[in-house]
Amino acid sequence: MNQRLHRHEQTLFLAGAAAILVLFSIAPWLQPLGEIAAARENSLALLASSRVWMLLLRSLLLSSAVTALALLIGLPLGVLFGRMDVPLRRALWVAHAFPMFLPPFLLALGWFHLLGRQGLLGGESTAALLFSEVGLVFVLGVTLAPIVTSLVAVGVMGVDASLEEAARLVARPWRVATHILLPAASPAIALAAIVVFALALSELGVPMFLRVDVFPAAVFARLGGVDYAPGEAFALALPLVPVAACLLILERRFVGRHSYAVLGLRSGARAPLPLRRLRAPLTAAATIASIVSVAPIAALAIRASRGSGGVATILDWSRRAPLNGVLAAAAAASGISAIGLIVGHAAARRERGASVLDALSVLAFVTPASVLGVGLIAVWNRAATQMIYGTLAILVVGYMARYVAVGVRVVASSVSQSPVHLEEAAAAHGAHFARRLFRIVLPLHARGVMFAWLLAAVFCMRDLETAVLFYPPGGEPLTVRIFTLEANGPESVVAGLALLQVGMTLAVLGLGAFAFLWRRAP
Amino acid sequence: MTAAIALAEVSFRYGARDILSGFALSVAPGEVVALLGPSGSGKSTVLRLVLGFAVPARGSVHLGDEIVSKDGKTLVPPEDRHLAVVFQDLALWPHLTVHANLAFGLGPGKRRGEHEARIRELLARVGLAGKEKHYPGELSGGERQRVAIARALVMEPRAILLDEPLSNLDVSLKRDLLGTFRELFKERKSTVVYVTHDLREAASLGDRIAVIEHGEVVQQGTLDLLRAQPASGFIRGLVQDLSWTGRPGT
Repeated sequence: MNQRLHRHEQTLFLAGAAAILVLFSIAPWLQPLGEIAAARENSLALLASSRVWMLLLRSLLLSSAVTALALLIGLPLGVLFGRMDVPLRRALWVAHAFPMFLPPFLLALGWFHLLGRQGLLGGESTAALLFSEVGLVFVLGVTLAPIVTSLVAVGVMGVDASLEEAARLVARPWRVATHILLPAASPAIALAAIVVFALALSELGVPMFLRVDVFPAAVFARLGGVDYAPGEAFALALPLVPVAACLLILERRFVGRHSYAVLGLRSGARAPLPLRRLRAPLTAAATIASIVSVAPIAALAIRASRGSGGVATILDWSRRAPLNGVLAAAAAASGISAIGLIVGHAAARRERGASVLDALSVLAFVTPASVLGVGLIAVWNRAATQMIYGTLAILVVGYMARYVAVGVRVVASSVSQSPVHLEEAAAAHGAHFARRLFRIVLPLHARGVMFAWLLAAVFCMRDLETAVLFYPPGGEPLTVRIFTLEANGPESVVAGLALLQVGMTLAVLGLGAFAFLWRRAP
Repeated sequence: MTAAIALAEVSFRYGARDILSGFALSVAPGEVVALLGPSGSGKSTVLRLVLGFAVPARGSVHLGDEIVSKDGKTLVPPEDRHLAVVFQDLALWPHLTVHANLAFGLGPGKRRGEHEARIRELLARVGLAGKEKHYPGELSGGERQRVAIARALVMEPRAILLDEPLSNLDVSLKRDLLGTFRELFKERKSTVVYVTHDLREAASLGDRIAVIEHGEVVQQGTLDLLRAQPASGFIRGLVQDLSWTGRPGT
């Protein structure tokens, strides 16, 4: 009996992970369909309104514009930071990339303190531009561009050294970058475009702050605002389902398994390519891009320093929100890493069924947060599950549902870079799956799993659009607290709370960097 | 006569380890030199120094009359050295067709017709006519090797450097390709540095064999010289192995 159990260990582990994935990420997809069937006629009649479809089209167009701007900024910067001899390129990259770990509406708040009517650099015209579709595309494009930059930089750094060197013998560095490195990193570019589009389409905080009408805001308004009508929210979530399905198809077609290589840092020791005469102007451009990225954070700091009443006042206003956010994010990141270890390992080793689980996790990530949010409410808001729905546990479920793909992809990337022979040798020595997983795979890929945890924790901490739909009473994370205070709280206190979020994110990233370097030491 | 390639008093460190120290080697125009040595002896480093992907801490690298790097400085970047390389993993660009792999280094220009003719002629010469539109992933191992050598030759470089290009092939395919390489180098009077750890390959291809151990050339000459007066235990071992298995194939 024991022997038979051992033989099916991997299947059992995968089945467990699959059950959690289906319950957390997929059931919320299916549940609204049932709710819509039971909804009143006027809920479904909403979908017959041309205004709904125009709003969806508008959101899709705005997300496309954000993606285009992010690619325009991120592609050249990714190549510059990844492979070119820009002075201090790692420091500039860090400065440019940091804002992507923050909730975008926080940066919108920073831009408001810079370009708003009474902003540091603002006036009537800049305020008018900021509070418009142009402002939305600018803020989100600049905020999400570091995702493109970082994925492209990691992608070009991961291109096999010999492919680059063979090209360098016959072509100038810029031609090598554009004709060899960028095409070789095309899965990274495709992944970046899909991630940016999905995040832009899900975004709730920035459009609501900038008063730009978008589809997710319409769903949100029917779940908690003056237009409270949950049946209509379910109906409105429906058109977003095929959008998510399209994104999944695109991801499967253009990225898929390639993302494992995308995420790998295979060869970082090569000398950067010389920019020569272009070095000075391109370094200046990269520096400006990095300054623009951190400018809204600086604006928040300046605003917070003017009358926020000090740290004690800010902590007083924050209540338990920072703790809620950190606890939920840490618990969710642990769950995501555990599922990531099992499913990511199976995906990297092409085990049967793993690609389906991988696809499901990606589907949950690219699904607009409003769909996932209303689905989670439909699944968990019932008497029998109040232990979960009425407590911080619902935040953990929501975060895990949305961000499990982060764990799966990071672990898969790490595992796929080590030879399968190491595990096969353990199997030949009599180790069953669990023993191989915990004694061989986990120690070998501890850094990968740690990185998955860190990235998942940061994603959860920056989340607003999922949590704002179902946070429990008194259990709001800091992002939600800032978002709700932003409308009527004192400006300087809100800026101070935003800085607190920045500090917490920095602390988590710093802790991760420390652990990363510490693990690296022999 | 000026050497096509020369390394003079070259020192190179990797971290705390001296890879080359006072290393010297010269290759005459049209000569095929096989660089033979055990793993970690520094032979691939020599190639990278000549190609310009590594810079000597001390000493100089010369291509013809030109000093291309000296005392920690790159004077001529890799793309201006007019060299070609065939790496161990071949480094064929997977997103480019066979034709595009060959055309990449030729670039666009007025001489497009001439370039096309050269590509066609070379592909036919290595037995790959009709495979122009194939991607590297669609070719067999032997065909990929032929694309790699054609890509190196199409540039009409001043020298070709090969870094153990045949190490992963079976014996009969290796023999076949060695024959092709030899013919191509001979008819084009190519200057070649061929890095290997296999004496059979070195003897089959090289006009001269230079043996590197611990970052210095311990002996150079023909196979007969190495047989008659092996200068180290490593060379003696290789020669004995060769005696066991017969003369190198032709």
